[in-house]
Amino acid sequence: MISVRNLKKNFGSNKVLRGIDFTLKDGEKVIVLGPSGSGKSTFLRCINRIEEPTTGEIYLDDTLITDKNIEKIRQDIGMVFQHFNLINNLTVMKNLTLAPVILKLMSEEEAEKKAKGLLRHIGLLDKVDAFPASLSGGQKQRVAIIRAMMMEPKVLLFDEPTSALDPESIGDVLALIHELADEGMTIMIVTHEMNFAKEVGTRIVFIDEGKIIEEGTPIEFFEHPKTPRVKEFLKKVL
Amino acid sequence: MEEFFSKLVELFSTPEYIDSLWHGFLLTLEIAFFAILIGFLLGTIIALVDTAKPSAWLAVPKFICRIYVTIIRGTPMALQLFIMFFVIFAIRGFPQIVTAILAFGFNSAAYTAEIIRGGILSVDKGQTEAGLALGLPRMVIFKKIVAPQAIKNIIPALGNEVITVIKETAIVSMVGMYDLNMAAKDIGSGQNMSSYVVPMFTAALFYLAVVYLISFIIKRVEKGLRKSDLRAES
Ligand SMILES: Nc1ncnc2c1ncn2[C@@H]1O[C@H](COP(=O)(O)OP(=O)(O)O)[C@@H](O)[C@H]1O
Ligand SMILES: [Mg+2]
Repeated sequence: MISVRNLKKNFGSNKVLRGIDFTLKDGEKVIVLGPSGSGKSTFLRCINRIEEPTTGEIYLDDTLITDKNIEKIRQDIGMVFQHFNLINNLTVMKNLTLAPVILKLMSEEEAEKKAKGLLRHIGLLDKVDAFPASLSGGQKQRVAIIRAMMMEPKVLLFDEPTSALDPESIGDVLALIHELADEGMTIMIVTHEMNFAKEVGTRIVFIDEGKIIEEGTPIEFFEHPKTPRVKEFLKKVL
Repeated sequence: MEEFFSKLVELFSTPEYIDSLWHGFLLTLEIAFFAILIGFLLGTIIALVDTAKPSAWLAVPKFICRIYVTIIRGTPMALQLFIMFFVIFAIRGFPQIVTAILAFGFNSAAYTAEIIRGGILSVDKGQTEAGLALGLPRMVIFKKIVAPQAIKNIIPALGNEVITVIKETAIVSMVGMYDLNMAAKDIGSGQNMSSYVVPMFTAALFYLAVVYLISFIIKRVEKGLRKSDLRAES
């Protein structure tokens, strides 16, 4: 699905990613862990080239995304942000239908029908004409997730989707992601929710100082960590 | 006081004076209107170049825009006016009004560019990133997402700029143009000191009336924009 070769990213003289090799297979749910500032967000953002990689190659299936028309490829890579990033000047409905309609993936009627179906599913059909400012954090994030789903992406990237939420809404958002995972969606998620990681993750990837220093199944990772760095990290978070 | 009223009566009963004030007023409006138009168009272009994603072919235009804004904002308007009149357009027979319009237009462009640039940059980067992640082209993101949000921040400051330009045009009297300011001085001159009072206060009222009208319009527009915010919060 996604394969990343020797990905490096510098911000000026700050070497944030120092050579990442990674593959994501169909249906996998990869949890990305690592200390703050280790480059997790940058890694995710390079995959859809919201951040331009300095060097390295990224493939989506067999397409080298680092030289192809990225806008087309982004339609297949959904992204959910920590701060939701719903479009403030558009209603919930418009947030959901804007991209698929403009990009001619579906007609306006089809898009609205699909949007209503998804909204009903997450219990927010009554917010269809509301503006984002009137939604709670948890509601915003769930709308952001179905906005990504509207595009019928091949993979969904989540960058700390619950870090900006109050404790009550975290559960709702995690439940929705869990459900997508169960439906077979290919997922990559940066999170600090360790229980969620254990439960939903098929593989854990640990990034430190811009490199993947350890990866494995949740059991391997949490029960039998190999590197001292991960042992130390787990001691702090568990 | 009696003298004040007699002067007032004199001003409004002498068609010549009224005519002078009226013509001065029209010239002021004409210069301001076209200068604001040029300032808005040129300022928008500068702001778009300035805020566009950096790329090789935009490097030089971006640099030119920065220099332009720096020079215009760093030198007095009166000096810019003199340079336009006595250096750049020191051509015999070249219409003064065109020179004046260009001088104020080029000046206003720099300030308008900064206002629009600030408005665009004040929109959260996450808004653009959301659009990018959905696969939308940058043009669409600007049109549908960034611009509508930027406008809310731009309108009030732009209103101030319009008012500033209208008042600032008064310095064309320094190059001998017969605007509202000059008309007031002309009507008052050649008599004793007190004769200045009435025409100058009258000119002030003309300026005030226009500024008030524009403030009123801007407030209305702002109120309209806020309404969509309230709707957003309800
Ligand atoms: N746009 C940027 N410009 C400059 N430095 C950045 C930018 N984005 C991230 N960084 C730097 O890259 C490093 C890694 O950031 P990030 O990928 O956000 O880490 P994480 O998500 O793991 O906390 C940090 O040192 C951060 O300051
Ligand atoms: Mg991060």
